Amino acid sequence: MARIQLENITKKFGKVTALDGISLDIKENEFFVLFGPAGAGKTTILNCIAGIQMPDEGVVKFDGEIMNLVDAAHRDTAMVFENYALYPQMTVYDNMASPLRSKLYKRDEAYIKQKIEEVSKMMKMDHLLQRLPSQLSNGQKQRVAMGRALVRSPRVFLMDEPLAHLDAKLRNAMRTELKEIQVNFGTTSIYVTHDFMEAMSLGDRIGIINKGKVVQIGTGDAIYYMPCNEFVAQLMGDPEINLIPGRLEKKDGGYTFTMQEGGRTYVLPKDKDLFAKFDQLGASAVDMGLRPQNLKYSFTPQEGYLKCTVYSYESIGNKSVIVAEMGGQQLRMIAPNGLHVKIDQDVYVDLMLDHSMFFDAGTKVYQSRYNEAEIKAVAKWED
Amino acid sequence: MAGLTIKNLYKRYDNSGKKKNVQNDYAVKDLNLVAEQGEFIALLGPSGCGKTTTLRMTAGLEEITKGEIYIGDVLVNNLHPKDRHIGLAFEDYAMYPPLTVYDNIAFNLKAKGVDKAEIDRRVREIAPLMQCDDLLDKMPVKLSGGQKQRVNIARAIIRRPELLLMDEPLSHLDGKARQAMRTEIKRLINEIKCTTVYVTHDQLEAMSLADKIAIIDLGVLQQFGTPAEVYDDPVNEFVASFIGEPPMNILETTIVGESDHFLFTFENSNLRIVVPERYNNVVSNGFKCKVGVRPMDVLIGGADSKGSPEKVATFENLGDERRIGIHVGETLLMLITDDETRYKAGDIIKLEVRGEKTHLFDLKTGERIRER
Repeated sequence: MARIQLENITKKFGKVTALDGISLDIKENEFFVLFGPAGAGKTTILNCIAGIQMPDEGVVKFDGEIMNLVDAAHRDTAMVFENYALYPQMTVYDNMASPLRSKLYKRDEAYIKQKIEEVSKMMKMDHLLQRLPSQLSNGQKQRVAMGRALVRSPRVFLMDEPLAHLDAKLRNAMRTELKEIQVNFGTTSIYVTHDFMEAMSLGDRIGIINKGKVVQIGTGDAIYYMPCNEFVAQLMGDPEINLIPGRLEKKDGGYTFTMQEGGRTYVLPKDKDLFAKFDQLGASAVDMGLRPQNLKYSFTPQEGYLKCTVYSYESIGNKSVIVAEMGGQQLRMIAPNGLHVKIDQDVYVDLMLDHSMFFDAGTKVYQSRYNEAEIKAVAKWED
Repeated sequence: MAGLTIKNLYKRYDNSGKKKNVQNDYAVKDLNLVAEQGEFIALLGPSGCGKTTTLRMTAGLEEITKGEIYIGDVLVNNLHPKDRHIGLAFEDYAMYPPLTVYDNIAFNLKAKGVDKAEIDRRVREIAPLMQCDDLLDKMPVKLSGGQKQRVNIARAIIRRPELLLMDEPLSHLDGKARQAMRTEIKRLINEIKCTTVYVTHDQLEAMSLADKIAIIDLGVLQQFGTPAEVYDDPVNEFVASFIGEPPMNILETTIVGESDHFLFTFENSNLRIVVPERYNNVVSNGFKCKVGVRPMDVLIGGADSKGSPEKVATFENLGDERRIGIHVGETLLMLITDDETRYKAGDIIKLEVRGEKTHLFDLKTGERIRER
């Protein structure tokens, strides 16, 4: 286990800048998730840590020691990919033993046996040891690939989208299993994914990567409740956050918010810190961000509710999403399954304003939100 | 437009292997389905269950071994595909690369000899429905996957088919494009009100699009009902675990009789759940079966709760919701909560179950055991 530091890493492929000044400080024993859209540079970061690729600029440090010139084999990292790459002719036991039997490690069989038993028990695959890879399900194969990486007790365990090609159900089940065993890893782990549920569930901290840059680093709660910009806000959460353009105006010592579409004005509930922030920023044109679970709906007119029409009503598994439309503004909200909702029927929508966050309409940068101080405490916010 | 009726449909593929005397099992077995005019039906099941075979027999691309298919009142078993008045949209877009989007959409009408002015009118009528009006002059190579699929669907509906058949039209698209396209398909069908049969292996797609879902496993229809029916009232364990994400918790249980009620008990677990009264006529002391309950219907009790105290094995904060896993013997029982509390592994919570939402299944056959 080791502390992994990247300082100002830049990597170019021809004219394309894959990594553009990446700096990360991953703590000893931390489970760190790199999360971002396809092509963001997540895998390139892993490759630079593993030594598979050389950064053009910047340093990679393990426990303070510069590793740039150490070749991949001697960095003592273990990597698991989307492809399991198991030896098809070997049993699970022999697959797991293979790195320890290699020239580099050359451990004796008694040690190997003890280590495999320990890891396979932790990974809940001790009943699979005598099987061949062809006799395993995809989920089990991935578990073997992870187990094989862990028997070596590497300094850092690198995982590149290990669950990406499993189907939705299995992926969710595997994620939960991984969550249960990860506490026993006892290894610094870096996990690449483009699935926000994996990022939220598994990461002690998450690093959001986009276009070769670090966008935000923090706990899942910090990133979910205080995303640093609209891009991050939209990345975290399914269905996506609602962004409602409008204007702030100071009135009677408080603030009002006027929606751009339809021109409806809301008196914002009082929050001293938030209003102080508005005063300080002199904010006027903003986008209000509101998560879909913070909108209420009714199919009969209600005092203070916005009149909209139903654009769609779709199940997302254990619950459903209503998308309501008012002019060009769409509003997503959570509803139970099995309602009798017709497309284009009227629906009345209420915004739970005291859950909202605000972004600058021009730069799309996070400004502030309701109950920021409380949320910082829950989210273990680091400045 | 017309409905679709499938009666006692069978399909067996020829055995071209070595063992000439052994016949293949049926790919589709005694399938009966009725889609009313204008209804949207999803054929849902794991790969290899026979759903695409059924669709292909309906389209006329596959021979029928036994049984009858009617489109409206017309028996189509022996009709050529072109005479069945169907529109087809598959996973692969199969567009003509040297033709513009306009000509791709117009192709079928041109082949039929429809006159130019009429073709133009219909292309311009359909294009905005699929949001491809500003793509008409483009070549297929310039289009994204989502755009290609939109053109593909526009091409399928321009003939004003009596029946629209779609086979996994969204499976090439990724995350957000897929979700957006799903909504568009739903709005389109709502607009043109065409009877539609939609093949998918994704229960979410079926749940969000279809008026009725036919769940098929190993060539046999398991249940045919509205999304609410298959979700709330599954006929067997297969349907119960196939529909819903995360899936229904299904646990083996032994019933224990107490003085005035029964309890569900579980091997290697202290968990006790009171058996709802409505099952009193079907269970007895020592009765073994499986009990199913959805993760949304398992609750965390308050301080004065009488629920079983259980240890949290996994806690996942997913932002929008939180999921908790609890070991019941070897199985991980999942529950979903909107509760803002951050639990951690090892915490003790009181577990409560919405009794009215429990289902019993036969230990061997997986059939639902209903209260009498």
